[in-house]
Amino acid sequence: MEPKKMCLGLFSGSVDKLTAAGIILGGAAALDMKVDIYVLLQGARAFRKDIGDNPDKLQMAENPALKEEFLQSLKNLKVKTWVEFFKEAKEITDVKIHICGLAGKIWGAEKLEDFIGIADDICGISAYITGAEEADVNLFI
Amino acid sequence: MTQEELISLHVTKAVDARGTACPGPLLEAKKAIGTIKSGDIMEVLSADEGTKVDIPKWCAKQGHEYLGTIEGSGYFRIFMKKH
Repeated sequence: MEPKKMCLGLFSGSVDKLTAAGIILGGAAALDMKVDIYVLLQGARAFRKDIGDNPDKLQMAENPALKEEFLQSLKNLKVKTWVEFFKEAKEITDVKIHICGLAGKIWGAEKLEDFIGIADDICGISAYITGAEEADVNLFI
Repeated sequence: MTQEELISLHVTKAVDARGTACPGPLLEAKKAIGTIKSGDIMEVLSADEGTKVDIPKWCAKQGHEYLGTIEGSGYFRIFMKKH
């Protein structure tokens, strides 16, 4: 049976929304979905090699004053970090992470090696539109 | 299945996911079910309230047979048969 496809437009580069994306990816992995993630504007900054899993360099999208409480709660509940979630999903199912070329340039990262190792390629907007058109589930975070 | 029937099942694989929050138990179940044979029974232990809803939905999508849940003692015992 052909796997169901999920297309995720990941605009956000904030630690709370990236964590949400990671949890959703976990669910998609459990269901053997084929996932394509298109990392857009703010998202591309979080994927920079020098940022990634460092929460000190990531902001909260909502309730910024509660960042420490949020991070501590995740730790207490033994919830994985967003990068760990993404890595685990890649180990379980077919997840491809495409970084928007323009977004990368905005944050001074032009080549694939400028991003954390889980990124698969640099792409343009038509790749995202085509991926969205072909997917069974479309999400934008 | 009744609670008595669930208790008396011959479980091939028990996955203790009580230390994890969503989606941990689901991912533990996903990994473990690959290690057992078709027709084998698997049990997932979870203290996460959402798991008792998640696992039956996951079973339905993956073709596994959800057999039932035993509640109590602060955690859930969720049983399924691999397709």
